[in-house]
Amino acid sequence: MAKYYDIDDIIMEEELFSVVFQVGANGVGLLDPSAETNNIEKGAKVELPFWLAQELHLRQAVSVTVPACFNQKTRKEIQADAPCVDLRNRCPYFYELGCKVAPLIGDRTIGSFLLYAFTGRYKEVLSKAHSAAFAVAPKFLTLLTKEETHLYEAARSSMKAFKKWRVGGPRFEKASILKKRKSAE
Amino acid sequence: MAGQSDPHLSIFSSAEVEFLAEDEMVEIVPNISMDPLNLLCGNFGPFRPQIATEVPMWLAMALKKRGKCTIRPPEWMSVGKLTQVLEAERDSPREFQPLPFHYVEISRLLFDHAREDIPDVYMVRSLIEDIRDVRFHKVESGLETIAARTHAVKLKNLSAMEVNIVRPFFVRALQAFYKHDSPQMIHQPDTSSRRPQVADRGPRRDLRPR
Repeated sequence: MAKYYDIDDIIMEEELFSVVFQVGANGVGLLDPSAETNNIEKGAKVELPFWLAQELHLRQAVSVTVPACFNQKTRKEIQADAPCVDLRNRCPYFYELGCKVAPLIGDRTIGSFLLYAFTGRYKEVLSKAHSAAFAVAPKFLTLLTKEETHLYEAARSSMKAFKKWRVGGPRFEKASILKKRKSAE
Repeated sequence: MAGQSDPHLSIFSSAEVEFLAEDEMVEIVPNISMDPLNLLCGNFGPFRPQIATEVPMWLAMALKKRGKCTIRPPEWMSVGKLTQVLEAERDSPREFQPLPFHYVEISRLLFDHAREDIPDVYMVRSLIEDIRDVRFHKVESGLETIAARTHAVKLKNLSAMEVNIVRPFFVRALQAFYKHDSPQMIHQPDTSSRRPQVADRGPRRDLRPR
């Protein structure tokens, strides 16, 4: 409930999962674009958003397949060179989704995989965030997931604020509305 | 307001930390005669020409701006002392030298308002910049050691401004590691019998062993 209004949480649950229906379902043909009737047959493979797949899975109506960002291929890539893997492209909410998927499908390796990936990528974020505070590295930024971007931005903006303070300048800033009025005159 | 902090980022903005630093005491030599000031935060004065007295930074700045005093730079702000500190900082890559908690802010305030009272102001300024850079580099290399089992970090002798700069990043990083390292994620989730989470999970890591 704490995350009920969290926009990131909502967007994250929109992530599509491919599921296989274990039971036939009537009147929900719109979930399956390829369905000819308004029914979904048993064994049909359908893409559903996570929030729906989760509920159906708990009622044992569907079986969830592990999404691509947690499959063996991605794991191999993370093991090879974690910072260079483009996780944003695969799933911008990689870590959050991983935390939700792991208990759902009962895969205990996902937890340690997430930790491993984050540890590997954390160092890269750290070194880029403070040192390259001004020379922005746009290419590097496009690889980061949402959580890593937040981390990077937190470091960068605090460094920027400090540099601004140190350089000095006017101690009192005019409210932007006042500036506007003056220029209009 | 200009100095207000961004609620999402850190608890204090740089200007707010500077405001806190203005309560530090500094020695001034007044050139006016004035009765003691009896304020809520203490009694300061009496002010007699050429007789040194201790006042808080904010009062010293106010008097200085009106040309009513000269400020005696604190003891640690001398070229000799700072050179010593800088060498010690460079020699010991794993610990911080004791400096005043608000050294970054105090030095900036003095450079802004009382440059003519500091001997060798350029030298002092560049020394303090160097010290800050060396120390910040140490903080960064310390941050690299954060890993899965880190739940608390001890930083001895770190100054207010340095803590303030790394705080947003640091808190987020620790939170992320904490989340991904939680027992429910690593081990098989035990949903049938919800046992209370163990409060202490592994040893705390000292970022800077003494």
